[in-house]
Amino acid sequence: MRIAVCRPQVPFSRGGAEIFTDELVRQLRERDHEADIVSVPFKWYPGQRVLTQAFLWRLLDLTEADGRRIDLVVATKFPSYCVRHPNKVVWLLHQFRQAYELDRTDLGQFSESAEDRATRRRVERLDRVTLGEARKLFATSRNVADRLQRSTGLDPEVLPHPPQELAYRTDAYEPFVFSVGRLDRAKRIDLLIEAAAKQGVDLVVSGEGPDRERLERLANGRVRFTGRVSEAELADLYARCRAVFYAPVDEDFGMVPFEAFLAEKPVVTTTDAGGPLDVVRDRETGRVVEPTVDAVAAALEIGEDDARAWGRAGKALAEQVTWDSSIERLLA
Amino acid sequence: MKVAYYSPLPPSRSGVADYSALLLPELEKHVEVVLAHRRRFRRFPSADLALYHIGNDPEAHGWIAKALEARPGVVVLHEFVLHHLVAGLTLARGDSRGYLDAMERGHGLAGRLIAFGVVEGRIPPLWETRPEAFPLAGDVLAAATGLIVHSHYVESRARDAGFEGQVWRIPHPAWSLPAVASLQVEGSPLIGCFGHLNESKRITQLLAAFARLRGRHPDARLLLVGALADRLAGMAVPEGVIREDYVAEERLWSLMAACDAIVSLRSPTMGETSGSAIRALTLGKPLVVSDVGWFSELPDEVAIRVPVDEREVETLAAALDKLASDDASREAMGAAARDLVEREHSLPHVAELYAAALEEAAGGGAVREVLLKDIAQAAAEIGIEAADPELGEVSARLDEVGLGG
Repeated sequence: MRIAVCRPQVPFSRGGAEIFTDELVRQLRERDHEADIVSVPFKWYPGQRVLTQAFLWRLLDLTEADGRRIDLVVATKFPSYCVRHPNKVVWLLHQFRQAYELDRTDLGQFSESAEDRATRRRVERLDRVTLGEARKLFATSRNVADRLQRSTGLDPEVLPHPPQELAYRTDAYEPFVFSVGRLDRAKRIDLLIEAAAKQGVDLVVSGEGPDRERLERLANGRVRFTGRVSEAELADLYARCRAVFYAPVDEDFGMVPFEAFLAEKPVVTTTDAGGPLDVVRDRETGRVVEPTVDAVAAALEIGEDDARAWGRAGKALAEQVTWDSSIERLLA
Repeated sequence: MKVAYYSPLPPSRSGVADYSALLLPELEKHVEVVLAHRRRFRRFPSADLALYHIGNDPEAHGWIAKALEARPGVVVLHEFVLHHLVAGLTLARGDSRGYLDAMERGHGLAGRLIAFGVVEGRIPPLWETRPEAFPLAGDVLAAATGLIVHSHYVESRARDAGFEGQVWRIPHPAWSLPAVASLQVEGSPLIGCFGHLNESKRITQLLAAFARLRGRHPDARLLLVGALADRLAGMAVPEGVIREDYVAEERLWSLMAACDAIVSLRSPTMGETSGSAIRALTLGKPLVVSDVGWFSELPDEVAIRVPVDEREVETLAAALDKLASDDASREAMGAAARDLVEREHSLPHVAELYAAALEEAAGGGAVREVLLKDIAQAAAEIGIEAADPELGEVSARLDEVGLGG
């Protein structure tokens, strides 16, 4: 089959969606499909421009490329699923969250002006139409599926995506907690830094993002910020850490828990983290605590035996999510 | 966002007053509401948008129609036929010319000629005899910047009448189930019929069908609750029929709860919904309805629909007999009714749909302008002109995803 995998691109930025879609294309190619990424730059602000940017996807003609038919389009996150195709399958990573659960929070972007409120409603309507027309609809986690059901009435199947391929291994349970991901406010690294300071736990924080400067000031030299790391370095940090912190606000899914589990490391998360709660269970595969400095501080204190046992239980879960089974359902 | 809200409110006995009393507390969780006052309706409250609840009763809605005329806004069209409203605002106030003009705007010269007949008393008042043939909704539609309706039926009548603005179809909200006990009323089965009892409720046909039911189920009773219209005032109450006049809300629920099935017939329809039918669904009671307008849109699982034709009494009697004889059907319909209410008519869901409609109505125009300007500018910069097919393609794609209108 000829398959176009659609994702928006935020120039000069790379995160979980890019890793996931690149891997999906690679896996499809390994199974003798002709697969490629289709991407359009996305700038979602100021408020009303989000619709113009989303609409660009609607103007694309992906029925053919170079005179040959494209058999299937797999769209992933907003606004790539606005694309038109007679055989469109959506594997939803997330909608435009500022229009939904982040609206009227610190992380939202729409004001109370009539224009902003109406823009938000147009995004909802765009979602209802463009997701509703998909031949099949998958969501990457129960959290994403529930949000979609609440906002549009559509009812997707849950299809978690496998983690990126890394040289996962377990070297040790050194006394530091590891965090990896884009450094923005939604990831709540500030909560981690304050909790670690309170508990006297060492931290390693990998990743780049707009919040880095603020976080470094907050850490005041007590945290090692590595910036973006190579795959080998990432595998090494997973292999050596005691536990991994991952507690964004109402996260879609996030690959970090499965990656941590494959290195047999437990995950510390919070009760409001959303997607991670599909797989992180308190004192079974990690810690699930209230999103307060005190609760997180206590949860970071994990003994080596618990870390090993919970990490192994996590690995058993993560190993069930494979590309073979995912691609079989995607193409069925 | 601030919304100027025009509606009759309790103690008005209008169904729309009950509707607003139910909706407002939940709607106020989404938008700021400024209530417009009947006595000061010409003073427009400062707001982003005005919302007008329009129904056919001139007493309840006349002032609202006047306010709408002066300041266009979003209209909640509770029924499509507004003849009585228009007659009340014109003829009843001595404004024959206003009535003639309205009839001509709605139905051309023939309409004006017929209206002359009404004004001069040579033909009976149309609002009593054939309002559905002369709905007179045109003036309200002309002043509406958007429409909220409760049914496909009213939406399609508005479109047929040439309304081109945005239409939001929002189900009638359901009341939460009050904590009232079912009253002990004799009857096995007990069939209920609730509301203002006039000719359009098909009371004559209902009584005829009930008489047939009694032939097979001698213990059956028919509970007729509501004020009886003047024309039916002399009606004999047949054996097995229990009559109650207008009852307060709490007793209404208790009586409904006692029923095994509820009948809600209508013809002709003005495009209205039925508060009694919604209450019956909330209580999980099987419904028997006329196969017209909004009633036709109730799913088979919750209502038996009776066509309004020469076999109406026979079909109605068969429907009542089925419900009287088949406990399993009755139970399944009741469960489906509760599911439907939960899914479509729950108050938070309806209020959210209102908020979406009002937010789109208030800011949608500006949003559309920004989007179209962006596209037009990009097209112009690369030499695409208005007549070029590429813009036709862009326009089709915009419509496809709901961004065009």
